[in-house]
Amino acid sequence: MARLRLKGKPSSVADRLFRAAIALALLAISLVVIVPLLNLLALSLSDPGRVGEVTGLTVLPKGFSTVNYRVLAANPLFVRSIINALIITIVGTAINLLVTSMAAFALTRERLPGRRFFMLLVIVIMVFEPGLIPEYLVIKKIGLMNSLWSVILYKAVNVYYLIILMRFFEEVPTSLIEAARIDGAGYGTIFLKIMLPLAKPAIATLGLFYGVFHWNEYFRASIYLSDPDKYPLQLILRQFVVLDDTASLIGSGALFSYDEAARLDYGALKASTIIVAMLPVLIIYPLILKYYTKGVMEGGVKE
Amino acid sequence: MLKPRTLRTRLRQEGFLLVLLVPALVYFSVYHLAPMAGMTLAFQDFRIVGPSKFVGLKHFRILFSSPAFFDVLRNTLIISSMKIILFFPLPLLFALMVNELRSVLLRKFVQATAYLPHFLSWVVIAGVWISFLSPSSGGANQARGLVGLPPVDYMTSKTAIRWVLFASETWRSLGWDSIIYLAALMRINPSLYESADMDGAGALQKAWYITIPELAPTMITVLILNMGFFMSAGFDQVFNMMNDSVISAVDILDTYIYRIGLLNMQYSFSTAANLFKGAIGLVLILGTHSAAKRVTGKGLW
Repeated sequence: MARLRLKGKPSSVADRLFRAAIALALLAISLVVIVPLLNLLALSLSDPGRVGEVTGLTVLPKGFSTVNYRVLAANPLFVRSIINALIITIVGTAINLLVTSMAAFALTRERLPGRRFFMLLVIVIMVFEPGLIPEYLVIKKIGLMNSLWSVILYKAVNVYYLIILMRFFEEVPTSLIEAARIDGAGYGTIFLKIMLPLAKPAIATLGLFYGVFHWNEYFRASIYLSDPDKYPLQLILRQFVVLDDTASLIGSGALFSYDEAARLDYGALKASTIIVAMLPVLIIYPLILKYYTKGVMEGGVKE
Repeated sequence: MLKPRTLRTRLRQEGFLLVLLVPALVYFSVYHLAPMAGMTLAFQDFRIVGPSKFVGLKHFRILFSSPAFFDVLRNTLIISSMKIILFFPLPLLFALMVNELRSVLLRKFVQATAYLPHFLSWVVIAGVWISFLSPSSGGANQARGLVGLPPVDYMTSKTAIRWVLFASETWRSLGWDSIIYLAALMRINPSLYESADMDGAGALQKAWYITIPELAPTMITVLILNMGFFMSAGFDQVFNMMNDSVISAVDILDTYIYRIGLLNMQYSFSTAANLFKGAIGLVLILGTHSAAKRVTGKGLW
C-alpha cells in the first residue's frame, strides 16, 4: 500500500501532528454523518414527557418509551405501506437478478444470433433517456397504472449492472466451458451449473444494490399508484415528513387508541417513521461493506 | 473436438440463448424503446383520442420564449456547478486523508460511517436534514447558538437553500465517491515513493509529483461521467428539499418538466423540454470527453 513515510525511519513531531490533525478531521466528518441519525433515534425512543429535553445534538434518549413505534404499528396505512415496500423489494429484486443474469449470459455467448445488434441496443438504452412523459404514457397505455407491477418492473434491468455482470461472465475461462460442452452440457447446464455458481459474489452484490434501490424508490410509485393502500413506505414518509401532511396518516389510523397519545409529539413520530424507513438499509449495510468495498479494493489490487 | 452440428441442433441450442434474452427485451421495449418512440410527441400536439397533429418546432419555440424556462435553466446550471465542479475535489481530498490513517480500526470506522448516507433515499435524507436544520430544535442551529450566533431558517431562505443542496449532496456522496480514488491509490507502485524518499522529497512534493499525476486518469473519468448529469442537477434531492418559499431559487429543469408535464398535463411541451435537456447533456459529455482527450491524450472511449 502506498504510504508517504519511509520504512523504519521514526516519524518526526511535525509528521505526527499532521497525522493527528487528519484523524481528528475525519472523526469530525464521521460525527457530522451519524449525530443527526442518532439524534432522530434518540428522539423516537424518548419518553413523551421528556421530549422537550431532547435538543438537536442529543444522541441518547431521555427516558425510554416505544410509544411512537406502537402508534405507527397500530396505523393500518403505515403497516400496509411496509408490506407494499417489502413486496416491491423482494419480488423486484428476484426479477432483477433473474432477468439481468439471463441476459448477461446470453449476451456474452459468441454464438448468440444478432449479438452485435443486441449490444448496440444496450448502448442506445444506456445513452438515451426518453424521459418522464413518454414512459408515463406507455405505462398508461398498457394498463399498468395503479398496479404494483409498474413499480416492481421499473429498472428490471439496470444497464450498468448488466454490463458489470457481463464482464464477470467474460472472465470465466473458456477452457472450463469447452470441457463442459465436450461432456455434453448445453447452454442451460453451463448457465446454471457453471456460470451462476462462479458469479455468486457478483450476483449477491448486485442483489444488495437492486434491493436498496427498490426499498428507496418513491417517485415512480407516486406517479403510477393512485390508491393509498398500494403506497410503499417511502411515499408515506414523504407525505408525512417532507410535505408535513399529518392528516393523511392520522386520519386513517387508530392513532388515539393509546393513553399516551394525548402527550404524543409529532416531531418524535416523524423521527420514528424515518428510522423505520432506514432500518432495512441499516440491516444489510454490513453485507454491502463486506461484498462491495472488498470487491472494489481487491479488483484494484489485481490489475 | 466438437461434432459438426446440424441446423436443427443449432436452432435448438442458440434459440435457447434468445429465449434467455426475451425477458430483458420485453423490459427494454416497455420502459425504454416505446418511450423513445414516444419522444416524437415533442413535435406534435398531444391528443387523448385520435392521432396527434404534427406541429414541428412549435413547443421548442414556446419553450425558448418563456422566461420561466430561462429561470430554471439558470438554477440548473448554478446548482450543477456547485454539486459537480465545486464538489469535485472533495472526495479526492477525503481519499487522500483516509489513506494517511494508520489505525485500521479508525479507518474502518471512518469509511463505514462516510459511505452510509449513499444508501439512504433522498426522502429519508430530506427528513433528516429538515429536522437537523430546524430553526427551533435542529442540531445545526443549536451548534450556532453555542458560539453565540442567531438561528437561521435554512430551508426557507432563498440565499441558503442552494448551499443546503450542496451540503446535503456532500453529506451523502463525499465518502462513497472517494472509493474510486482509494482503489486508484492502492494501485500506485510503492517504489515510486521509495525512490522519491531517497531523493529527499517531502510529503507535499510526493503528493504533487506522484500521487496527483497517478490519479489524474481517475479524476478525468469521474469528471466526464459527472458531466453527463450536469443538466439533471439531482431531481430527487431538489424535489424532496424544495418548498414554496424557495422554489424560485431551486426549481430545476427536471422539477419543471415534472410540473408542466404531470401536474399541468402539457405532455408535448414537457417532452420538448426534456428532449432539449437530453440534447445539451449529450453535447456536454461529448465536449468534456474530447477536451480531456486533447489535454491528456486519453479518454473513456
